[in-house]
Amino acid sequence: MSAQETARSGRSPGFWAGLYLAVVAMIGALKIADAINGPTGFILMAASCGLLIPMVRAQNRGDCSSAATLAYNKRVIASSFGYVLGLGIAITVWRNYELSAPAVFAISLLPVLPTFGIVWAMARYLSDETDEYLRHRTTMASIHGLGLVLSVGILWGFLEMFELVPHVWAWWVLPAWAIGTGLSNLWQKVRGE
Amino acid sequence: MKNRLKVLRAERNWSQQDLAERLEVSRQSVNAIETGRYDPSLPLAFRIADVFETQIEEIFLRD
Repeated sequence: MSAQETARSGRSPGFWAGLYLAVVAMIGALKIADAINGPTGFILMAASCGLLIPMVRAQNRGDCSSAATLAYNKRVIASSFGYVLGLGIAITVWRNYELSAPAVFAISLLPVLPTFGIVWAMARYLSDETDEYLRHRTTMASIHGLGLVLSVGILWGFLEMFELVPHVWAWWVLPAWAIGTGLSNLWQKVRGE
Repeated sequence: MKNRLKVLRAERNWSQQDLAERLEVSRQSVNAIETGRYDPSLPLAFRIADVFETQIEEIFLRD
């Protein structure tokens, strides 16, 4: 690819996704090493979400983007921003104020509602997608993601019951499902599907 | 299921993208169907037959 073509087409979605994951891992490492405090970590995490915008733009430039995919990307980006912001506010308020149980319930919803937005975006994509092959591919990836969540969840649940592994919060089902779906998409791409 | 999509497309000198645009599907869909990795639904098979102005059984063959 010539320099001119590279400038026109820009970086690939994989580049931005890799950069985003590397930045998130770096922020996580800094937090674990106590090099940064909680609020700084959240600000950096929120700022790192900005890398998702060029990733989506790069994906939209590709020839595999239907109108439903573009709408899905916008909804997931908006929900992801809402999630990071909601989680940051909820933890900050929870740590700094004595709250009643209803108030704790209310702030718990701050990160929860945007994740419902992600789930809704996935459901909406499957109903909006008019290309049956792309819908089939996404459905298969979702089923593989669900298979991973169920398998790992059952395994972890019994290991936890017998006190072999620590407790894991239930909200991990969404990231686990997303990882399974992503791996399935990658596998389908490698196989040329 | 086997198909004659590639042959029919070549006869008309159409690229996969040309056929995809005529069918209003993605190029990946055409590629997946053509290489036998995905069997289209009956409505899409009818649309393919309409685009090539032929019968479904002239395009899709039993294994």
